Amino acid sequence: MSRTALFAWAVAGALWAQEARQIVEEAQRRSRADSERYQGTLEVIDARGRRNLKRWTYQRLGSHGNSKAIIRFTDPPEVRGVALLILNHPERASDQWMWTPATQRERRIAIQDRSTRFFGTDFSFEDLEERDVNQYEYRMMGEETIEGAPCWKIESRPRKTRASQYSHSLLWIRKENYTLARIENYVGREPVRRANYREVQNVQGIWTPRLIEMHDLRRNSRTLLRLERLEYNVPLKESEFTLQALRRGS
Amino acid sequence: MLLARLSWAYLKKHRLRWALTIGGVALGVAVLVAMRLANQAVVASFHRTVEGIAGRTQLQVHAGDLGFPEEVLERVQAIPEVAAAAPVIEAALDTGLPGQGHLLVVGVDMTGDRSLRDYQFESAEEALLEDPLVFLAQPDSLIVTREFAERNGLRVGSRIPLGTAAGLRWFTIRGIMRPGGLSQAFGGNLAVMDVYSLQHVLGRGRRFDRIDVALREGITLEEGQEALRRALGPGFEVEPPSARGRHFEAILRSFSLTLNITSVFAVLVGMFLIYNSFSVAVAQRRTEIGILRALGANRGQIRRLFLGEAAVAGLIGSGAGALAGWAMARWVAGYVGRLMQEVYGVAQSVESASAEPGLLAAGTGVGVLASLVAAWVPAGAAARVDPVQALQKGRHQVLSAGEYRRRGWLAAASACAAALLLARGRSLGSFYAGYVLAILAALWWTPALSRWLARASRPLLAWLRPVEGALAADSLLQAPRRTSATVAAVMLSLAMVIGFGGVARAIYESLVEWVSTTLNPDLFVTPNAQIASRTYVVPAELGAEIERLPGVRQVQLVRSARIPYQGAPVLLVAAEVAKLAETVHRRPVEGDLEEMYRRTAAGEATIVSESFARLRGLRKGDSIELPAPKGLLRLEIAGIVRDYSDQQGTLLIDRAVYRDWWGDESVNVIRVYLAPGAQAAEVKREILERCGRGRRLFVLANEEVRRYIFRLADQWFGMTYNQIAVAILVAVLGIVNTLTVSITDRRREFGLLLAVGGLRPQVRRTVWMEAVAIGGIGFLLGLGLGAVSLYYSLEMTRRDLAGLSLEYAFPLELAAWLAPVILGAAFLAGLGPAEAAVRGSLVEALEYE
Amino acid sequence: MIELKQVWKIFLNGRREVVALRNVSLSVSRGETVAIVGPSGSGKSTLLNLIGGLDRPSHGEILVEGRKLTDLDDDGLARLRREKIGFVFQFFHLLPTLTCMQNVALPLHLRGWPRRRAEARARELLGLVGLAGRLDHLPEELSGGERQRVAIARALAADPPILLADEPTGNLDTRTGQEILALLGELHARLGTTMLIVTHDAQVARSCARVVALRDGQIVDDCAMRDA
Repeated sequence: MSRTALFAWAVAGALWAQEARQIVEEAQRRSRADSERYQGTLEVIDARGRRNLKRWTYQRLGSHGNSKAIIRFTDPPEVRGVALLILNHPERASDQWMWTPATQRERRIAIQDRSTRFFGTDFSFEDLEERDVNQYEYRMMGEETIEGAPCWKIESRPRKTRASQYSHSLLWIRKENYTLARIENYVGREPVRRANYREVQNVQGIWTPRLIEMHDLRRNSRTLLRLERLEYNVPLKESEFTLQALRRGS
Repeated sequence: MLLARLSWAYLKKHRLRWALTIGGVALGVAVLVAMRLANQAVVASFHRTVEGIAGRTQLQVHAGDLGFPEEVLERVQAIPEVAAAAPVIEAALDTGLPGQGHLLVVGVDMTGDRSLRDYQFESAEEALLEDPLVFLAQPDSLIVTREFAERNGLRVGSRIPLGTAAGLRWFTIRGIMRPGGLSQAFGGNLAVMDVYSLQHVLGRGRRFDRIDVALREGITLEEGQEALRRALGPGFEVEPPSARGRHFEAILRSFSLTLNITSVFAVLVGMFLIYNSFSVAVAQRRTEIGILRALGANRGQIRRLFLGEAAVAGLIGSGAGALAGWAMARWVAGYVGRLMQEVYGVAQSVESASAEPGLLAAGTGVGVLASLVAAWVPAGAAARVDPVQALQKGRHQVLSAGEYRRRGWLAAASACAAALLLARGRSLGSFYAGYVLAILAALWWTPALSRWLARASRPLLAWLRPVEGALAADSLLQAPRRTSATVAAVMLSLAMVIGFGGVARAIYESLVEWVSTTLNPDLFVTPNAQIASRTYVVPAELGAEIERLPGVRQVQLVRSARIPYQGAPVLLVAAEVAKLAETVHRRPVEGDLEEMYRRTAAGEATIVSESFARLRGLRKGDSIELPAPKGLLRLEIAGIVRDYSDQQGTLLIDRAVYRDWWGDESVNVIRVYLAPGAQAAEVKREILERCGRGRRLFVLANEEVRRYIFRLADQWFGMTYNQIAVAILVAVLGIVNTLTVSITDRRREFGLLLAVGGLRPQVRRTVWMEAVAIGGIGFLLGLGLGAVSLYYSLEMTRRDLAGLSLEYAFPLELAAWLAPVILGAAFLAGLGPAEAAVRGSLVEALEYE
Repeated sequence: MIELKQVWKIFLNGRREVVALRNVSLSVSRGETVAIVGPSGSGKSTLLNLIGGLDRPSHGEILVEGRKLTDLDDDGLARLRREKIGFVFQFFHLLPTLTCMQNVALPLHLRGWPRRRAEARARELLGLVGLAGRLDHLPEELSGGERQRVAIARALAADPPILLADEPTGNLDTRTGQEILALLGELHARLGTTMLIVTHDAQVARSCARVVALRDGQIVDDCAMRDA
């Protein structure tokens, strides 16, 4: 291989990488909102087809890397009132506290092992964290159509500073509105989790998938998360996202 | 193997004696094997529990029984070397279920615990339990093992009662674990609960017992340990889970020692019986040996003949003993396990004592070796038999005056040496050598003393039954070798009994003194069903509430817990020392009572138990460092007292010091003194009515606590009582064996008595009286040697076992109680031989030999 | 005095029956001295043991002093021995741990005599057999002849009308044997004791008034020698 050719390939690669990163950045920019609120329905369908349904309300203040969120379970009755406070930090893992009304006390949840499943769903705790663009390297893999929508196919690899259970992921981003269509997470060569983002709607100017289907390929179990009564930029106070607020319930 | 035939012929002729001898070896080996296996089973079961619960835990952070505040968890989690850290509380709670006793409840934080422990649930519940949300949201959630569920007919959704700080509460089973891993712990009597719910259940506040840690990949155990120690300071122990087993073994050690002494004693008993039987056999077979020697057998062949017999007897006895020991082990292990749980609250459930081939083989080996060693001297005597003399009859029973003198000198020499060692010796070796010498002196003196006693007893026996009594006494006098062998057997066993019993009694009396001076409050208020248990605690405010009640003069708050001190757990008692000084006037071992109370109340010193000081070679004025969550607490020993709260030793500090250094306000015992004229029963009712609602509370009257402590003591002494039983059994076996030998030896003599006109009842009574006289002489000598042995036993208790210096008091009641036992046993032992003496053909008896 | 009627004694030796005495009938009057001779295994000792009540016949009847031995239980036999019979054995059968005097006094002790009286009697008897100077010696300190004298003294202690001696000289040299025989003769003359002496020594037989010869368990000869 001649020197010129090698150089040309390297430049092209850099350009592609540049482009892939820009696309992800754009997607992040477009989904940005100062706050968010929705009622979520979480349905777990295991390998044998058994279903388990939970509902929660979700509130978020701030965005990307610096947000605070509070989840309050509303259904089934056994778990009503259980709440989760998540404080995300750009430079380190999030802090999480859980409130159980029956014992009247909050507990800190130590998610040292972020590959563990989030309360019996097919999401891992890591899957629920917000991905910050700067923590990954991107590479354009080409273009593909997912469920009828033309998409960019981008590979992301966590930087050394970002420990992850996955070796890499493939992202499909819809060209039409820069929303995520699919993520496939890999451990080595084996895909372990696949998420499909469907029912994209424009909510207050932000294109948002209203249904996320997470498929745990190893367990062959699926979780459907449906976002209902979704609102962006609702007036939320910082004081709603504290331990005191968690204890108060609402 | 013509020689083996000779052995066989002899054996067939003396079946009963060989049965007894082999039985003696079997007993020794059985006890040895049972004790070892039981000990192993207890330790193994504890390890199983620890390992089952530990899962993938590499290191554990703990601070003794007291636990530590929750904040420590965040400090641990923040350490870079730590991959996962999960809090744990363990407690054995009483289940309200009939026959189920305790359930070991492990409190974990399900959200983070999965990375450490495997929870394999029954498949149907998988989906449900993969989701810890319900489990956490409902504080009555419990996961049990399949074994426990099946035993009690429980299913998911079933409810069971458990004792909580707020009284009996119902819990719901939300999951059932499959067998394996965690389920194996505590014999399957295990449940998992949310750690925060368990805090609530136990009334312990925001504290954990322990943090289980998994390290990041590539971090070695030592690096992790180092990092954790650096981050947490000296108040915490950071150890792999296996270390808990070591702590447990430390607790078990003093107990194991008792077990070991019992085993060694049992083996010695077996050896004694072998020695006894072989001495007799050699004496009986002198003619045979003489003939063999005359025919050209050399000394080595004779020695080997007897050693071979000993080896075979030893092998048969040990083999049988090892199997019997295996059968016994289960029972002993259960006993020890229960004891460990009751006395120490160590979660423990021994389900089986496995037949470890190595140990069974070792036990058999020890038995064979002991038999060989025991037969060595008689075999040597056999080898030295002079063929010419041997073919002449009837010499060996008489001891020459020279031999009496020789033995007398030996006895005097060893007694002097023993006394010298006692007076001058400092080391452990010289102490035990002195003990051995004292016993040897007694053994050498036995023939002379027993002859003297037999002579002294002649008038008494003759007065009782002129003919038979005189005959019996003469027979004793005229066969000193035979008599003194049995007398020695009885004497040794009895000395052992007096030694054990005397120590037990001395401890008991000292215990009584402790109980009456120290445990003198009128009422004890505690959240635990037993005063020694520390599973539940109550807040200190309860004390103030009780103090306000009418009829209450004073309350004293106590928090006690086991903390690690130099690798072994000791009992820390934090009490209001200033108040204690007013009510508890005990006799100090070292130091001035008033001063030690004052300085301890001021927080600058501690009062330690004698056992704590002695076992660690500490004296008044020495400083000790106690690991506390806040750091190393340095205290001077202001005084040493007798205290029986804990075997490993007790430390008394002021409650204020405890609150400061351990950051804990809780209390587990409230000592209540009543105002003059107040009725204990009334105040008790008042306390329960006013303060006991919605709270787990027990109000124990002084009498109940005393009774409980003495019951515990009795359990502890159970082992000693077993030893006493074994010792008595040896005495009986010894009497039976030697008497049987002596009678078979003298068949011709009895035949002759009958031939020259003796009536059977006369002969019978003669043998009975002889047996009882031997028992009596052995008894008297045993009391004498017992007095010496007791001294050594007390010394041993002080120096090596418990660190208790006990007052010497001869156990007279025990002796009085033993007199009829020994004499009765001797009489019973004489029954069989007496019958043998008068039954059977006279012609054969006269032709005998 | 002593009467045997068709006495059989059969031993079981393993599975084999050994006939020790075969249809023996014998009558001994008061004061007689009878020698029972025969080769070893001819049943001499068995005969003596049966008469002394140490053993029981398989068939037949034995009367001693008019009492039927077969009607007596073990204690009855012991009582009979105590009152009527003295034994002398080939191997002396002295208790090695007792002194001469104690050995002789033993049967008296068994009869419940007070110690003093028993010892006086023992002293007297030992004087009678010529051992007055050896009262406190142990048997092993005595010669064979002396031991047998002690045994004879013991047999005569309670003044029994019958003395049974089983090879009394069998373990002694000829001279000592003769002395013992002389002693027995002397005692017989003085006390008039009925004596049955088992022997295969011709000299012993000759010293008796009557000789009964046994062979294979049967009496083959019964003749009077001379007046004793």
